[in-house]
Amino acid sequence: MSRKLTWAVLALVLAGTLFVGSRKESGPPTEDQRVQRISSVVRCPTCRGLSAAQSDAPPAEAIREEVRRRVQDGESDAEIKAYLVSRYGEDILLEPGADGVGIVVWALPVIGGVAAVGGLALVLHRRRVRPGRKASAADEALVARAMRR
Amino acid sequence: MSAVLGTAAVALGLAASVLGLATIALGLRRNHPGMLRTGQRYVWLVLGGAVLATAAMQYALLSNDFSLEYVANNHSRSTPLLYTVTTMWSALEGSILLWALVLAGYIAVMARHFRERAADPMVAWATLVALGVAAFFFALMAGPANPFQVVQGAVPTDGPGPNPLLQNHPLVAFHPPMLYLGYVGFTIPFAFALAALITGRLGEGWLVEARRWTLFAWGFLTLGIVLGAWWSYEVLGWGGYWAWDPVENASFLPWLTATAYVHSVMVQERRGMLRVWNLSLLVATFSLTILGTFLTRSGVLDSVHAFTESPIGPWILAFFALVTAVSIGLIGWRGDRLRSPGSIDAPVSREAAFLANNVAFAAFAFVVLLGTIFPLLAEAINGDQLSVGAPYFNRMTAPVGFTLLFLMAVAPALPWRKASAETLHRRVLWPAWAGTLTVVACVAFGLKGLGPLLAFGLAAFAGAAAIRQLALAAKAARRDGQPAWRGLLGRSSGGMVVHLGVVILAVGFAASSSYSHRGQFRLAPGESASLAGHTVTFLGTTTEERANKRTTQAQVRVDGGKVYEPALHQFRFGAQAIGSPSVRTGPLSDVYLTLVVPADPAGTVVIGVHVQPLVTWLWTGGAIMGFGTFLAAWPGRRRRPTAPDAEPVTEPGDVRQAEPAVVPS
Repeated sequence: MSRKLTWAVLALVLAGTLFVGSRKESGPPTEDQRVQRISSVVRCPTCRGLSAAQSDAPPAEAIREEVRRRVQDGESDAEIKAYLVSRYGEDILLEPGADGVGIVVWALPVIGGVAAVGGLALVLHRRRVRPGRKASAADEALVARAMRR
Repeated sequence: MSAVLGTAAVALGLAASVLGLATIALGLRRNHPGMLRTGQRYVWLVLGGAVLATAAMQYALLSNDFSLEYVANNHSRSTPLLYTVTTMWSALEGSILLWALVLAGYIAVMARHFRERAADPMVAWATLVALGVAAFFFALMAGPANPFQVVQGAVPTDGPGPNPLLQNHPLVAFHPPMLYLGYVGFTIPFAFALAALITGRLGEGWLVEARRWTLFAWGFLTLGIVLGAWWSYEVLGWGGYWAWDPVENASFLPWLTATAYVHSVMVQERRGMLRVWNLSLLVATFSLTILGTFLTRSGVLDSVHAFTESPIGPWILAFFALVTAVSIGLIGWRGDRLRSPGSIDAPVSREAAFLANNVAFAAFAFVVLLGTIFPLLAEAINGDQLSVGAPYFNRMTAPVGFTLLFLMAVAPALPWRKASAETLHRRVLWPAWAGTLTVVACVAFGLKGLGPLLAFGLAAFAGAAAIRQLALAAKAARRDGQPAWRGLLGRSSGGMVVHLGVVILAVGFAASSSYSHRGQFRLAPGESASLAGHTVTFLGTTTEERANKRTTQAQVRVDGGKVYEPALHQFRFGAQAIGSPSVRTGPLSDVYLTLVVPADPAGTVVIGVHVQPLVTWLWTGGAIMGFGTFLAAWPGRRRRPTAPDAEPVTEPGDVRQAEPAVVPS
């Protein structure tokens, strides 16, 4: 089998299995899944750094119950988060919103990442097209001497 | 008595640091070798001061000397022996003392290592910088963070003991010292980096030694971080081990930059490139340890580790500003000498892969730093209160993590300078199939989700690549007539063992965070509940009174087998009850039990159950990383190219002369 064919087969097998493995289950998410999804991006008000989904503290449990009640009432994720923000303040969300100053924390890494990858590509490309340096006679002599040892 | 001895010891340490620094400075100015040697000897007095101060603190704790404020605030007569000893690093002042002790130890080892070359300006400048750092920490103890402050007024007869979380698990005896051995160890490479800049001896020699010191500190920091995660898992009771808490991030940041350094330094050794970058990484690593101390010790960020809030914030911030300003100034001043003589020949080569690795690590560090300090920035900009937590960090760092796993898989197989398609095909094909077939097997077993599947596939790819390298090294050793295991010693094989540890850790991280199950069950004695295929049966509770706490334990049988006892502890002086989880660990999955609500009059309790796969892989991976570092630090079969302070080589015929030598003006 030729070299290119081998790699093409490998890529095909990989892409196929990843596609199968990452397919979402059909149907809308269940109530439990939605409660989990929302409460995992909401901070537990009394415990430091943990989400309401992770903590066993009573305030976290209260948030989970509130979220569940609103999910049962048919509210959307955005509506439930908006309610929690109005009740506890903007910092109840563990991810800053993309509006206002919070955009910075999302945009800066993306801009920086693009710039870094671009810079890397530029450096590698520039280095490649630059003609290789010629060894001088002194260099050749140096190598010859070193080889003789 | 402890107060007098301790204060005198701190004064000795401070005076010796300042005098040593001044003597070396004068010796450098007058070009006087004798003074340089004398200056270096002050290091032993600094060490003496730190050891005496530590002894005084331990004596005060062990003899219940509540006339010291630190002892009165953090110790109690009922604290068990182990936690009495660890009380030294359970609050701010004592942890600064531990820092000073470790730093003095490192400087002493450095002085001993270079005792023959004390008169060399390079070594003298490095010692001077290190003594300057020591002077700062002793000054903190002499001023705003005095561990030997005497209680005002009547001496109390007893104290509250250390924070309940810090007297609940023996890991508290290992995690902080390991972390400090890592953190503080970066002072020495930093000192050499500054010395190289100041003396202008920017050749490749100095960084060989800096690399070894960095590797040493890096290994301890790795172990410290993993032990911290383990402590978090075993003590905090939320079922996780890494919360992207500001203090965790503060320890992770220097780890990221130091990891970048131990990779990119190889490019400089081989090709003489990336000089400014490597110096910057060493300086950044040290600065980040100071910044981390500021973030976590000044109380500006809310964190589980904010055990104390104190007035030392401005001091540390000023020191951070000084370090950063001096370093940037020096790099700017020497910039013209740092231009690298080599260049990258091909985009598919070992050095290009290292470059990509460094871009990835820099991006990783940037995201973690930005996310950690962003709440402060946002508040400063327009008063907004924002949180940046785990969802942000997971989402932003995952792509970088995948990139790094991919590089780990490909880079070790790449030759220096230029890789041909034939070479790549021959070396990468079977590891690539190992990764692909792993994904196939995972999907066949019903695992779902793009993220974890990619992680497992890339991890298998990288793991196979590392095993291939190790097998080649063993074969090479055999060919040289040595036993195969000899091939595993030395930096390249050690590095591959570290890679294997990272791979195992990454698999554990991906599996445990993607496929965990959690639930809470209200159970009366005799009742059972099941979660993710595991059955837990609540048997009953018992209560135990000890000198320092009252413990309520629930007996829970897991899967009809052994009984586990999650508990709640009410410490004598603690307002809140502290839970302690009980975990059934296994190679494939952990069942993690917590007692959420103790028994009501009817004997009913609420038990929290978390089922997480492959958690033990995290600890195993961490241990293998530590072992790999040990192998990498082992003097390899490769000859040491130069002494750390070697002059640029001028001997005719030496290959090094082919590169433009950097000569001090």
